[in-house]
Amino acid sequence: MMNFLPFLKRHRGDSMTINLDEERDKTLIEEIIELGGHDLVKCYQCGTCIADCPTGIADEPLSAKRIIHMIKLGLRDRLVEEQTPWMCVTCGGCEERCPRGAEPFEIILAVRRWQCREDETYIPLVLGEIYERGHTQNIVNASELRKSLDLPEVPPTVIDRPEYLERFRKMLRETKVVREYGYIFGIDEEE
Amino acid sequence: MPEFGLFLGCNMPAIRPDVEKAIRESLPAVGVKLLDIEGAACCPAFGTFYSVDEEAALAVNAWNLALAEKLGVDIVVQCGSCYSTLKIGRHKILNGWKEVIDRYLQKADLTYTGKTDVRHIIDVYRNVVGVEKIRESIKYSLDGMKAVVQNPCHVLRPSKIVGFDDPEKPTALKDITEALGAKVPYYEREKQCCGGSGGFAKRDKKANLEFTKKKFDSMKDEIDPDLIVVSCITCLLHLDSIQEEMRKQGMIDYKIPVFDYSQILAICLGKDPDKVARLSVTPRDELIGRVLDNRI
Repeated sequence: MMNFLPFLKRHRGDSMTINLDEERDKTLIEEIIELGGHDLVKCYQCGTCIADCPTGIADEPLSAKRIIHMIKLGLRDRLVEEQTPWMCVTCGGCEERCPRGAEPFEIILAVRRWQCREDETYIPLVLGEIYERGHTQNIVNASELRKSLDLPEVPPTVIDRPEYLERFRKMLRETKVVREYGYIFGIDEEE
Repeated sequence: MPEFGLFLGCNMPAIRPDVEKAIRESLPAVGVKLLDIEGAACCPAFGTFYSVDEEAALAVNAWNLALAEKLGVDIVVQCGSCYSTLKIGRHKILNGWKEVIDRYLQKADLTYTGKTDVRHIIDVYRNVVGVEKIRESIKYSLDGMKAVVQNPCHVLRPSKIVGFDDPEKPTALKDITEALGAKVPYYEREKQCCGGSGGFAKRDKKANLEFTKKKFDSMKDEIDPDLIVVSCITCLLHLDSIQEEMRKQGMIDYKIPVFDYSQILAICLGKDPDKVARLSVTPRDELIGRVLDNRI
């Protein structure tokens, strides 16, 4: 059998050197499937998902193909460190064109969820703002501008309706993310 | 008269409320009644609850859908990603998640049966209002001008769930722009994403600028358009403001004004440009002046 190792060493930087002793976790694939990457096993590594990805121009592009391969190999430690899933522009190109119906976009979202579970510093703090006022943006700051355009100073959304906001928060307090990470939502875990 | 609940999202009412004003002026002027969805919240965007807890994301989708259903109307929405998460969320709720999500809604004293659907504003202009109605309603036209259209990615893909147009050769936004009198010639990078959504621009600015420059150079070289017409708050913000960044870095030396479709329609309907198209980084006054010289 041919020995490819000298070739691999010559063509890859240190960080990419293959380590055959790297720890592999066979349950990783099940965890990603459970978190929404339901059709992950359909992937046959053709690369259609990366052919049209807007991030392809970047030095470190998002490659659904590569991430799926990491998951299949069970490279847990590498997947936790992987920043590229957060570059996704959510354009749906990979989802539309995947010839296997593996739903790469759903896999990318599932990987983000898995990373948040493994390392809570991944959880976007904007979730706390949505809980606080119902919106990612503080629309109240635009009151003067809105008034000058003959619009209601604040629109009649949850941000301007305290009774709706209370019901909205009550619903969110039932969700797993709010129950487990109360501090992000200004909820005292002692209560 | 068809009625819709206007879903505002977060960015439009906060950053570009002139677009909200344009929608509130334009849709009723072409025969669509708009209702406010009282209590509506963030859609939620893919970068928020969808990236952490899918069940929570679907519960927030259901909150918004249920409030519109209470009014007995479908939702109309301009923002591409709001459209996509609401549409995909609705699809998931009605295909396996309903029992789980009903329990969340109970906590909020709401119910959602699935009757209320989600329509993108391009779909409403093209397929509810129609090009004839638009053509006969306008007082000023884009006659003699060349426009390029930016279809929001989120209204095209995944087409089996969100689609109302041909995902590889969309025509609806082109049709309604041509109804204003403009020519909309094809250019090679017409279907390229604006690049503004998600984490790309934040995480690799240099690559994002290079990516967007390819699109701008393609439209400039092949068409030299008078304006860009978008129909998504992210496309609007990104294609408008990134030009200024590219100019500062010496990457481009031209300016192409960017309008949301409802803004340019409102101007053609004779609405006050200072109310419906006040805010932009790349100047639009000259183009607005030319439209107002084109009285039909």
